[in-house]
Amino acid sequence: MKIAIKKDQLVAYIIVALGGVIMLAPFYFMFIFSSHSNSGILSIPPPIFFGEFLVENFKTLIDFLPYFWHNISLSLYVAIAVTFLNLLFCSLAGYAFAMFDFKGKNFLFVGIMATMLLPPFLGMIPTAMIMSQIGWMNDSKALIVPAACGAMGIFMMRQFIVSSIPKELVEAARMDGCKEFKIYYRIIVPLITPAFGTLGLITFIGTWNNFMGPLVVMNDMKMFTVPLALRALQGTGQVPWGAVAVGAAIAVLPLLFLFVLASRRLIDGLTAGAVKG
Amino acid sequence: MITFKKTAVSSLLCTALLSGAAYAEQVEITVSSFPNFNQVAEAAVPLFEAKYPNIKVKIVSMAYGDHHNAMTTALATGASLPDVMSVEAGYIGRFAQSGGLEDLNAAPFNAGEFTAQIVPFTLPQATSSNGALRAIPADIGPGAMFYRQDTLKAAGVSEAELIKDWDSFIDAGVKIKEKTGNYLISNAVDIKNIYIRSNLKEGEGLYFDKDHNILVNSPRFKEAFRLAKQARVAGIDARVGAWSAEWTEGLKRGTISSQMMGAWLGGHLQDWIATDSAGLWRTSHLPNNAFASWGGSFYAIPAKAKNKAEAWEFIKFMTTTREIQLLGMTEVNAFPALIEAQDDPFFEEEIAYLGNQKARIQWKEASVKIPTVAMDRYDEAARQIVDDALEKVLEHDADINTVLAEAEKQIKRKARRR
Amino acid sequence: MNSITSPSVPRKASAKKGNFWLRKGNKIAPYFFISPFFIIFGVFGLFPLLFSLYLSFHYWEPAAGLAAMEWVGLENYIFALQDDWFQKSIFNTAEIALKSGIPQHALAIPLAFFIHTSFTRMRNTVIGIYFVPYITSTVAISLVFTTLFSRDFGMVNQVLTSLGNFTIADMKVLSWLFPTENLDWQRPEYTKDMISFVVFWRYVGWNTVLYLSALQTIPKDLYEAAIIDGANRYQQFRYVTLPMLKPMAFFAVTLTIIGNLQLFEEPFIITGGTGGIDQAGKTAAMHMFITAFVESDFGTASAISWILFMLIAGLTWLNHKLLGGSNN
Repeated sequence: MKIAIKKDQLVAYIIVALGGVIMLAPFYFMFIFSSHSNSGILSIPPPIFFGEFLVENFKTLIDFLPYFWHNISLSLYVAIAVTFLNLLFCSLAGYAFAMFDFKGKNFLFVGIMATMLLPPFLGMIPTAMIMSQIGWMNDSKALIVPAACGAMGIFMMRQFIVSSIPKELVEAARMDGCKEFKIYYRIIVPLITPAFGTLGLITFIGTWNNFMGPLVVMNDMKMFTVPLALRALQGTGQVPWGAVAVGAAIAVLPLLFLFVLASRRLIDGLTAGAVKG
Repeated sequence: MITFKKTAVSSLLCTALLSGAAYAEQVEITVSSFPNFNQVAEAAVPLFEAKYPNIKVKIVSMAYGDHHNAMTTALATGASLPDVMSVEAGYIGRFAQSGGLEDLNAAPFNAGEFTAQIVPFTLPQATSSNGALRAIPADIGPGAMFYRQDTLKAAGVSEAELIKDWDSFIDAGVKIKEKTGNYLISNAVDIKNIYIRSNLKEGEGLYFDKDHNILVNSPRFKEAFRLAKQARVAGIDARVGAWSAEWTEGLKRGTISSQMMGAWLGGHLQDWIATDSAGLWRTSHLPNNAFASWGGSFYAIPAKAKNKAEAWEFIKFMTTTREIQLLGMTEVNAFPALIEAQDDPFFEEEIAYLGNQKARIQWKEASVKIPTVAMDRYDEAARQIVDDALEKVLEHDADINTVLAEAEKQIKRKARRR
Repeated sequence: MNSITSPSVPRKASAKKGNFWLRKGNKIAPYFFISPFFIIFGVFGLFPLLFSLYLSFHYWEPAAGLAAMEWVGLENYIFALQDDWFQKSIFNTAEIALKSGIPQHALAIPLAFFIHTSFTRMRNTVIGIYFVPYITSTVAISLVFTTLFSRDFGMVNQVLTSLGNFTIADMKVLSWLFPTENLDWQRPEYTKDMISFVVFWRYVGWNTVLYLSALQTIPKDLYEAAIIDGANRYQQFRYVTLPMLKPMAFFAVTLTIIGNLQLFEEPFIITGGTGGIDQAGKTAAMHMFITAFVESDFGTASAISWILFMLIAGLTWLNHKLLGGSNN
């Protein structure tokens, strides 16, 4: 019986390991490709180890995308701004739904959830039109403001507040005559830092990787975000695969870095979210 | 007396100020473009600004697809429009029809003054159905065949045999396959694409004619499909898509022994696709006396642009100045649309990469013979439908007549708004 | 005696007020707190929505400018629904959704269970490895996948064909499962598989994490009771775990449905914006984009996006009926 379980488990371990390899393989190749020339990448068999073309590929990347550094800093700026605003607004709204009773509360909450169903491309064209009418085309505001308060964030925050902050705490504070906003930043905020971590990471990642949003609003290569810039590489007849790989690696590195830093927090946050207090 | 003096002085002052202001008035125009077309503009800007010191030029460039999407959106909303808009042949039909671009034949542009100097077949492409000329052609892409001389030799095929007519073309391909194992062409679809561009009657476009009748259920298409199928069955095409990794490698290694495309392909082959095969490639006309054009770029002025007068100066500069047109040729192999520019010793040069062939003369000859093809708003949709139909024939053995009849119906449905 | 919390009379009046206040909270504050969402949504969410609805009833060729809109009623909708390109894109979307969605969940559940029960030390590392695909930029990774799936030079074909051509004693033992010649992934037969794999790769870790979080909430005593009843691991899984996972499954499947119906980026990059040969890789969202920008028909494109929305809402409702319990 014991041995049978072990064998069983062994197979499972092997499958999980294989799966892990498949998960990581594209990354590995991305980094490898970034150091090879086009014909190196497109050879039989494909390269498995690093080559010598990293610097040259990088130069090619900058050749095709002269504003690449600006693209990166723009992506960073937008991601940080959206994350910060989301943390602020979603926690406020989550707090409201969790700790207050007000008219239309359920209706409004369901309404907010319903907006999650809306596909982003539904309003794509009118959004482009609005942006050009108010002069926000090619402006980072067009990416930041519409995304400043997401329904998913409100849901997460409410969930977390409900499950980890006892109502009595808030009630006691109110009884002490505390103003609502003060309750918010004195009591609520310190207690929901794990949720901030999780939502912050998810929002940052989502914003950094957002492709469709900037696609319709950014017309100037200088104001591209990183995904748009990478895509522009594909448009030429001669796709510089090495440069693409370098660009892709650069696009992924900040996220990987953040992820490694915060993975424990993120995974714990996600896996604990369902625990009812 | 004093009043007179005052008036005189003040009017003198005014005039001085005004003329000073006029002299210092700087206008900045925005030119939107896409690679590689933008390279010509960028190279020309210093010369332009030297000639017109009060006009500054800013060039904004994006990838081909993104650029045209952005222009579509800009025209739709009337905001963030450039002063000069570059449009490529693939989109000119739609944009010219739309009415968002200025009619350059009308005053104050009066393009009619010089349009006779431009290669004739390009002008109708940019002309709307009510006769308005919405853009000026800047360059053209005369179609040419590029082939590997050494492969042909090894297979005992001469150039004349290769391009005499389509049947001999396919026979040559079979011989090449037998003797050398190489493919003749990258994709049988290319044959269809060229065939449908030849033997056009007056007033006909590729898929539609001037009166918007659909032309796909016709001998021209049936023969095109038949030939493509024949090539596929004979196994002489490599079944790769243009610009894919397999395509570039195939041309590089010579496993694809010929490619039909715009003359500018020669530059690409030389620069990066097949850098090691210098001297092995040649160029010729297309088989069966077909003459077609691949691509081509235009300049237009949006109706809502801010600086139209200056924009027009720029366009005239780019399209009617002989040196600038030649500059396009030397920079990015952009074949001049200005007839006069084609008359230059540059064209007599032998091109080493092509085995010292005087290739540009050949392309020049071709450009004169390219027929006028009427453009239609729904060309792109029709193209997709026809390509899908061909796919069925090539891969699934569908019957050509059935498939084309079906395609005609589909196009009719698609092209529903006239 | 009196409890500590009951002082004298004056408290009574304020207690009433206090109780009210304690229960409901300040009247205005909650509205204030939720207002950012509604303001932003009102301007940037609602207005585009309504405008696109308005657009969908018009014929509008964008290059002609704003003034050129013409009312056509339901014509765009009828055309879109009857259009075989649209129908094809729906089939493509559905096929990709199934081919990527089912493996995502079918693999995520046992994987989460396995990690939950068998990994302690390495747990976060393993989860991390599976989760990493989710955080990457779709554009970046799709571009890399395009090279990996190249017919003659891609890693995928190399691996598959070497497995397929694996010979023992002159026999290709694995050729029934693996191909022996390079597959052309750009061919219509395989395009969807290629896209489905990329989508699957991306989300299997995400789903694993979701299911893992649900697994944490299953009370241990349920398992203990089952073990006492003589259930083996498989039976525990089937009769304790699976039913308890239902609410999370509902949530995760809802996300998968919504995500797949809106699928745009992966197929867009992989097919280079064209939809592939014979439009095999064109999803519904791509079809909308192409209708707008290539066919220059913003009105029909808006109609398509609304049809898609109704589809999404309908399927979500269906999912709710089948799997749902609590609201998401």
